[in-house]
Amino acid sequence: MAHVKKKSANTGAVSMNMTPMIDIVFQLIIFFLLTSQFQQLEIEQVTLPMSIAAMPKDPFQFRNVVINIVNPDNPEVIVLGRTMDYRVIEGDNELSAYLKDRKLSVIEGGEKLNVILRADAMVPYEAVASVMLAAGRAEIQGWWITTEMEKDEDKKR
Amino acid sequence: MAKVMKREQPRKMQPPMTPMIDCIFQLIIFFMLMPNFQAGEGYLTTNLPTTSGPVAGKQQKDVQRIKIELEVPDDDDKSVNIILNENQVFGRNFGGLLAALQGLKARGLAADHPVLISPWMGTRHKWVVTAFDMAVAARFTNIHFAVPYD
Repeated sequence: MAHVKKKSANTGAVSMNMTPMIDIVFQLIIFFLLTSQFQQLEIEQVTLPMSIAAMPKDPFQFRNVVINIVNPDNPEVIVLGRTMDYRVIEGDNELSAYLKDRKLSVIEGGEKLNVILRADAMVPYEAVASVMLAAGRAEIQGWWITTEMEKDEDKKR
Repeated sequence: MAKVMKREQPRKMQPPMTPMIDCIFQLIIFFMLMPNFQAGEGYLTTNLPTTSGPVAGKQQKDVQRIKIELEVPDDDDKSVNIILNENQVFGRNFGGLLAALQGLKARGLAADHPVLISPWMGTRHKWVVTAFDMAVAARFTNIHFAVPYD
């Protein structure tokens, strides 16, 4: 009696189970959505001045405080989405007190606090100077002023 | 002989996943690249104004500084009037200011010769940055900012 080999029943094509892959991909999408929102919390919409002397730097090597100065007609200082009083007064104003606290907490972690100023091009300079004086009260000596980098062909003089 | 009819297993409906994966990867790549769409931002590194640091209130060393005053014209508060060393007036001509600074440098002034940018009240931030740029373009490295005054 001849033996007839039966073909194996499992001859179907190998297919990947896509469902876990979709889950992982959606996790990634949500992660990138949230991280981009966190970055934008620090940055307000301003028109930066142009500068040929500005250099690209990596701010992520420091712990940063980003100070935004917006609204040229009535300058406001915004840090992490919160408006702060920066007027030059006797003693600490809200901004200088905040900078002092941040500096202390950063130093306790053994790091250095870096202050990044993002001022609208048309704000009166005295607002910028007042913010610098507030930082001076917090004994912060190093600053980065954010500008747009001007290319040689864009110069209009 | 009775035939035994096997019940057919209902076919599993599975939507095609491949196009969906493609769309999702497009979205991922878009969100990864999105932060880079912003205009290139650079930074000017500066130090604390001397009016509120360790030398606050002390008489500064009497050095013949190059003084760049930035005045606000009466007819246009968004514009600027540039005055160099209290005698050369350039209007809004930063090119002229640059040429004058380069002329001063060519006369033998050192790169670390102090330059003071002195904006008047109401001077816009962009003019102060531009004046700073002109001083840097003229190869001066010791640039100070005065607190605005009336």
